[in-house]
Amino acid sequence: MDEKVYKAKRAKELEQLGSAQTQYTYEYDPSLLETFENVHPKMDYWVTLNADEFTSLCPKTNQPDFGTLIINYIPDVKMVESKSLKLYLFSFMNSGEFHEDVVNKIGKDLVALMQPKYLEVIGLFYPRGNISIHPAFSYANKEEKYKEIEKYRFLNRNLNPQRIG
Amino acid sequence: MTLQKIQIVENTNIQYLSHELLFLAQSGQPYRGTFYVNFTSCGETFNLVDFKKYITSLRDKKLNAEDIAYEIFTTIEQDIKTKDLGIVVDLTARGGIQQRISYGTAFNTVQKENIFQVR
Repeated sequence: MDEKVYKAKRAKELEQLGSAQTQYTYEYDPSLLETFENVHPKMDYWVTLNADEFTSLCPKTNQPDFGTLIINYIPDVKMVESKSLKLYLFSFMNSGEFHEDVVNKIGKDLVALMQPKYLEVIGLFYPRGNISIHPAFSYANKEEKYKEIEKYRFLNRNLNPQRIG
Repeated sequence: MTLQKIQIVENTNIQYLSHELLFLAQSGQPYRGTFYVNFTSCGETFNLVDFKKYITSLRDKKLNAEDIAYEIFTTIEQDIKTKDLGIVVDLTARGGIQQRISYGTAFNTVQKENIFQVR
């Protein structure tokens, strides 16, 4: 696709980016997520998105939880637009979620949105009651290569547990 | 919101800090930051549970970033007697710009990290 045509198409597809009237939602809303087209689908490359300001509420006590989310993925045709991701992550602010659920929920939403070749979401939550929880979600499409990546990363995750800080 | 008083020894220097400050900018975009509270006691401090609830209540409050230190300062000042009360707030960067806001008596912030904290 011609670069100018592609850029015009991309700009038209994305509603949130560059909008002067951004609406912030504080209740879980996956419809906020937007995609744009990957112009290098034949290449395998990593995209890492770090969200250091993630927050949600404990579903039982309503107390706030905080954490860092790390999203790593190998795109196929669609890619997640980062401002829409930011707004989507803000939408958890007043939602009651357990750490393990929130990581899986975000992983599943991103898989449904993009159908990536491979995707993982890691949650590094701040400690509560002296315990910090670090759940990890992973997904690979049907291709053997990506299944192998998922298996390798799953088997090798946290082989040498250590404190972070 | 009222902070319950706790009787403590006079002239004790106390510093509280939290990396979990969250409030809303006027646009509705959440602001994140670290706050530090420093004072010398006049024989009392506040109940930490009340203070935690107060900080949590800021999640729904729209403020100019520059007013956040004053907001915390006045809440403490109206409920307990202190000497040399000071507040420092370090906000995370927005648009590549970091802000440090302070109100009250100047002090050096103590950098303490939880060993499990991911930074």
